[in-house]
Amino acid sequence: MAFSKKFSQLSLKARTSWILGLVAIFTLAVFLIAGGNYYNSFAYNLAKKTNDTIVLPQIKEIPFNLGLDLQGGTQLVYEADMTNIAEADRAEAMESARDIIERRVNAFGVSEPLVQANKGLSGEFRLIVELAGIKDVEEAIKMIGETPILEFKEQNLDLINTLSQEISLEEEDIKIETEGDENVEVVTDEAESLPAPEITEDDLWQDTGLTGKYLKRATLQFNPNDSTPEVSIQFNEEGDKLFAEITDRNVGRPVAIFLDGYIISAPTVNEKIVGGQALISGQFNIDEAKDLVKRLNSGALPVPISLVSQKTVQASLGMESINDSLMAGLIGLLLVSIFMVLVYRFPGLLSVVSLTVYGLTMLAIFKVIPVVVALVLVFVMIALIFYSFHEIKIFDSLLALMFTLIGVLLFFYAINPITLSLSGIAGLILSLGMAVDANILIFARTKEEMKKGESLSQAITDGFKRAWPSIRDGNIVVLLTCLILMFFGTSVVQGFGTTLFIGVSVSLFSAIVVTRALLLITSGKWLEKRPWLLGMKKSKIIKE
Amino acid sequence: MIYRIIQKRKFFLSISGVLIAAAIFALVTWGLNFGVDFRGGSLLEAKFNAYQPEISDIQASLAEADINNLTVQPTEDGTFMIRFKDASDEKHKAVVKQLKDLAQNSGQEGASFEELSFDSVGPSIGKELKSKSFNASFIVLIMIILYISWSFRKVSRPISSWKYGVAAIIALAHDVIITLGAFAAFGHFFQIEINTPFIAAILTVLGYSVSDSIVVFDRIRENLPKSKENFEDTINFSINQTLSRSLSTSFSSMLALMAILIFGGSTIQDFALALLIGIFIGTYSSIFVASPILVVWHKLMRKGAKS
Repeated sequence: MAFSKKFSQLSLKARTSWILGLVAIFTLAVFLIAGGNYYNSFAYNLAKKTNDTIVLPQIKEIPFNLGLDLQGGTQLVYEADMTNIAEADRAEAMESARDIIERRVNAFGVSEPLVQANKGLSGEFRLIVELAGIKDVEEAIKMIGETPILEFKEQNLDLINTLSQEISLEEEDIKIETEGDENVEVVTDEAESLPAPEITEDDLWQDTGLTGKYLKRATLQFNPNDSTPEVSIQFNEEGDKLFAEITDRNVGRPVAIFLDGYIISAPTVNEKIVGGQALISGQFNIDEAKDLVKRLNSGALPVPISLVSQKTVQASLGMESINDSLMAGLIGLLLVSIFMVLVYRFPGLLSVVSLTVYGLTMLAIFKVIPVVVALVLVFVMIALIFYSFHEIKIFDSLLALMFTLIGVLLFFYAINPITLSLSGIAGLILSLGMAVDANILIFARTKEEMKKGESLSQAITDGFKRAWPSIRDGNIVVLLTCLILMFFGTSVVQGFGTTLFIGVSVSLFSAIVVTRALLLITSGKWLEKRPWLLGMKKSKIIKE
Repeated sequence: MIYRIIQKRKFFLSISGVLIAAAIFALVTWGLNFGVDFRGGSLLEAKFNAYQPEISDIQASLAEADINNLTVQPTEDGTFMIRFKDASDEKHKAVVKQLKDLAQNSGQEGASFEELSFDSVGPSIGKELKSKSFNASFIVLIMIILYISWSFRKVSRPISSWKYGVAAIIALAHDVIITLGAFAAFGHFFQIEINTPFIAAILTVLGYSVSDSIVVFDRIRENLPKSKENFEDTINFSINQTLSRSLSTSFSSMLALMAILIFGGSTIQDFALALLIGIFIGTYSSIFVASPILVVWHKLMRKGAKS
């Protein structure tokens, strides 16, 4: 408290220098993260030239996470086993398998995989999966996961009738009460003691036609009696009908739920169930239940698939194209900078500085930042934004909430890898446009306030205050749009939404904190005496 | 100097009307020229013996076979995955012939080409991406209307705040339809195709268009309560006040895009073109469409109230 009191007693210039000091440290940090390799080679050369008198410490270089189109990755080819699928349904099964694999890969973060269904010349069905950046094939295979095949089976009555009445009754009792794995054991034990042909789990149960294909949604819930975790399954319309039929003809008997060929629970049907909900209540712990829900929701595959080949592939865009595009981006930035300086003169020059901070921050976020560093950086960003709003006197609880949320999301994306691909670059370009726009809005308003006869520093404060509503509304609409794209979109759309979200958030920081602080610290009599530097005519400034 | 934009709204809205009609005509007659990402195509795995060509060599050699949507991807085994849109037997043969020639003309001793596999591949844009994008866009539109109605709640006179939201959506639809129409025409005349990056470009246009309209609306919001002039003149004044900002912003974005269009790699040129058109139209609509619609709406209501 004592500090904040002392701080507020400082002059505006002194406070601004503190802010700029923090911004400078922040910029140095993001530069070291974004351009670690440049720094390292500079430090190396410096040590060499000065005969090891100036030795700067080397830092860890973090590579960018580039997308498939920019960097290449791992290609996995799966073959689908279509033996159980009718000829007519095969194309559709492939299509839904494609979507499910894509969803599963996307569940692990924004990585924009390429997933293609492929029909070979000899009629075999394949799925080609390409994952960006993963040079470790084991990891990629793990990401796609085993195939959760969800099946509902009913008892094979013919077989059971041939077994002795006593045993089958006993079996049923056990089945109702115990969990899948134990159940299987019991069945095998009984089977072995019998002289009858060996009976396996598969023989005891027969297909009902109800599979994961008909699943609408799985949710985690807790049993109200003993609060054990349960997985509730909701079927779609077709599945609903099938489930009603199955439960109707199996009243008093168990219906087994198989996952990947293993029985996971076999509840007894008490009555015909209409309304499409089934409950899996095996004795699993919360983590297992959560895992199952996640796997079920990402979709059980309609066909079993097996990995037939894996190889590393390189970027499809080619190094030449990437370099061309990077070069073009730099030329574009340069043109925008020249334009800003020509039109807005001195403030334009300042905005080029704040756009540089913006650019470095963006590059840093595309790398995986160590947790502690990310926490400090995001904290500094949000704190500076809060403080700037406080100075302009427009800080309220809504703004606090909004930027806290932005901070949390920024932190999340700073420590998790984001894949930079062509669509991500599109998001970057738009957010660059918005960063420039925020600066332009602020300058235009500041100029207007000066024309009314305000002193430069007063005009800067008022200009910000007036420009803020339109910056806020434009940016909030875009941020909300991004959130929707991030949560409801897939692959490219999601990637675009994520980069744009980050870009707009950082651009707000650069406009609200950096541009403002730079304007305040450089404003003064020298600038007021040279109105051409502000792009104004002398006569426009009313003499005090 | 104040430009009479609202007063000449009939002229500007007519231009928009003609452009939209032309865009819809192009979309209906020619449709969008969907590329390999949407339609699928062929995948050929090629192997060169005693010779390792550059990606650009293969691209140049296949350009002669008039192949669409070509991507060439080297693998770790030294083979190349070559994807293209055409699936006909004839094109397949042409591709194989070009690659054979490439190996023969390489000047390397014993260089030869080998076709490891040739498959047809499905689209990389699935049903899910399409339906999810559609749903997401719908939610976005509703959200924009809600947010603008809330944010502009203090200026419910003379027209209610939700109408600002609707006007922004109309301007947005205007921009998206014209951009799509332009690409339908490009697809027909210049064989420019629509692939995955195009989706991102359209989404960008969407975001740009709304934030552009909001800047003008913000001025109207600020001016209306204190203005002594009528609704029409207040809006015209507001547009004039934001004019230099609108032009500066779109000009600087277009500068960056121009650089990409001229110097960028071929893959992102189509993308830059889509953005360039979208942002140009977006700037036009934020000045000449979004706000005039408010005035037209206001006049229609007053007419309705009188009669």
